[in-house]
Amino acid sequence: MSNVDELEALLRPPAMEMPPYPPKVITLASGEQMVVRQIDRDEVPTLLKAIAPLIWVERDFYDVVAARLFGELLAYKRYRVRDEYCLVGLIDGVLAGIVNGRAVNGDVGMSYHTITIRRGLRVGSHMFAAKMEYHMEYLNQKEVLIVAESPIGFRRWMIEYPLQKKYEVQHELGGVPSWTLTRDTYFKAKPRLVSGRRPVPPELLERAKTITLPGEETVKAQVLGEKGEGA
Amino acid sequence: MEEKVYGVQCKTCGKETYPAHAVCPNCGGHDFEPLEITGEGKVLTYTDVYALPLDYALRYLRLAIVELDSGLRATGQLVDDDPKIGKRVRTTVGVVRETGGRKIYGLQFVPV
Amino acid sequence: MREVAIIGAGMTKFGRSDLSLIEIMSEAAIRALEDAALGDQKVDSVYVANMGAARLNRQTAIASALVDQLNLFPAMAEAVENGPASGASAFKNGFQAIASGMADVVLVTGGERMREVNNLEATDFVASMSHPQAEYIYGVTLPALAGMFTRLYMDRYGVTAKHLALVAIKNHANALKNPYAHIHQAITIEGILTAPEAVVNNPYIADPLRLYDCCPVSDGAAALVLTTREIAEKLGKPIVKVGGIGQATDTHAVHERPDPTELTAVKIAAQKAFQMAGIGPQDIDVAELHDAFTILEIAESEEAGFFPKGEGHNALEQGVTSLGGKLPINPSGGLKAKGHPVGATGVAQLVELTWQLRGAAGDRQVEGAKNAFACNFGGFGNNVVTTVLMREE
Repeated sequence: MSNVDELEALLRPPAMEMPPYPPKVITLASGEQMVVRQIDRDEVPTLLKAIAPLIWVERDFYDVVAARLFGELLAYKRYRVRDEYCLVGLIDGVLAGIVNGRAVNGDVGMSYHTITIRRGLRVGSHMFAAKMEYHMEYLNQKEVLIVAESPIGFRRWMIEYPLQKKYEVQHELGGVPSWTLTRDTYFKAKPRLVSGRRPVPPELLERAKTITLPGEETVKAQVLGEKGEGA
Repeated sequence: MEEKVYGVQCKTCGKETYPAHAVCPNCGGHDFEPLEITGEGKVLTYTDVYALPLDYALRYLRLAIVELDSGLRATGQLVDDDPKIGKRVRTTVGVVRETGGRKIYGLQFVPV
Repeated sequence: MREVAIIGAGMTKFGRSDLSLIEIMSEAAIRALEDAALGDQKVDSVYVANMGAARLNRQTAIASALVDQLNLFPAMAEAVENGPASGASAFKNGFQAIASGMADVVLVTGGERMREVNNLEATDFVASMSHPQAEYIYGVTLPALAGMFTRLYMDRYGVTAKHLALVAIKNHANALKNPYAHIHQAITIEGILTAPEAVVNNPYIADPLRLYDCCPVSDGAAALVLTTREIAEKLGKPIVKVGGIGQATDTHAVHERPDPTELTAVKIAAQKAFQMAGIGPQDIDVAELHDAFTILEIAESEEAGFFPKGEGHNALEQGVTSLGGKLPINPSGGLKAKGHPVGATGVAQLVELTWQLRGAAGDRQVEGAKNAFACNFGGFGNNVVTTVLMREE
């Protein structure tokens, strides 16, 4: 085969029409405003720079999550995963958290990863909730398949929602047992776990337009729990 | 079900205590008879606990301190969807914890 | 009884540590010993405060291990376990050793490394303080006891979620001024209580207590060096005198207390410490109270005699207990924001107060502080140790 575009077309997965995730703003415990919005492929390289240093942080399984997320986002940018999306949380434009996942089909969503850059303010919880909100309220899916790769994730998703076991279905992330979020569970949990306001005031949205990365040292200090969390 | 929860009654002065102590807090006596903790009373206070210890794969657990009509108080699980301070309840005994496959029985308060 | 003075104080930054328990305790002890600058004077006796080494870190006989690390042979040494009041209990033992003439120089080191285990395990470890048959088997945890206490307190005294939030906001703000604090994060009433998002930001842990009403799980250590007044003067140290120590116990099962909103052991322990010191609550300039839960700061401030029963929350709301107020409480950030490595806490409270009385507390200094009070609260108030420290000109 001599035509590169033709080859690329064979390598690239077909895409489903996915409605965009409308941005929202969340007031955090600190009083800071976090804008949650979807990114496009051009913004992936910026995120990769934030994720890369975390690949060597063993604490709380940041290494596993960061390495996988790095691969997933790179594959998203280069069209190697089908129907993937990524949401970011930005405080004053500064990256606080990232979540991603994909649509398996019209009915089923596949949750991939949640990584918290700014810890101690339940950013991870808010970001995971935004991801579930996208699957349930904008993609209108029937269920989302979810796994936890860290004890923190297990407590946040499996216990807090609570999710149901669905071990008979293989999650795409590999051997970790799969759990499911149904519409029923989601809407029951929504008042406790899903928050934020729309539309985002234009000046806040403007500040969230460009992703600013905290310095590498700041990121490491934050994820190593220097800031800590209550209880 | 044979499972019951016991406090003690002092053989010397008649004082009822729950839980049991080696020395009677009223008279200093050491001789006791078992006293079944049972009956009706009212909710003194309660809480829903979300940060649970080992052995519980629940989202939360509802616990209460109940003051029985006998004047004795007891801590236990509250099985009531609409808890209130002062609400009338009665004691039942059920599985309150399972640890290493072993069932532990204890007080579960239900509305009267 | 000989007079006892604190001549050395040091601690580690509270939070998460990759060091072993003995290493973090060594770090705090070395700082306190350097601060004391003992010269030729030797440490005679070592008291180590710790609650969970056997279970959390799988190490026992830790006082001997610390002496070995610090090369303090042949000093006497033992560990003191008294739940979360281990720190002040160890301090009390150190005080007694010097007051009695048994020792001239004592090192008290409190430490805990709780984050070696996961949160479930840590919660269960702390819950094992509760009554095994009458509380623990039901899933009772310390937050559960505090939650039931809070509901009753609110019902009876008009304390609201806002008052609890004000304790947390104040102590988080104080901790921002304390480089040793676990949590350096300002929080706002909007973010934890009034905004619609607050239910997600600040979920219930044991209602009515929420996440920000509870202290974090921390690693850390703190240490003090004590000696006689004569030796302290000879070493040319600013004299922080141990004015008084009080201790009292209460029923194991909380439901057995005649009035479960009363922390009788706090009241009795405080009265004893004040009596021994020859001063009263009105003479105190700064206090460190055991705010493992926000409600406890309010309740202890009443039981210690600073405010009438049921009025602590009003004093808080009026700013009396803020830095700059008439009686700043928990300038360090308290357990709430400085962190709560259980065995270290009672010692760390006294480290903070020593710095306050020396005028060395930096941005959180209480101006002209002369008399200080600490309350270290074990179990759910079933074993309480209070201490009065006094600066002498």
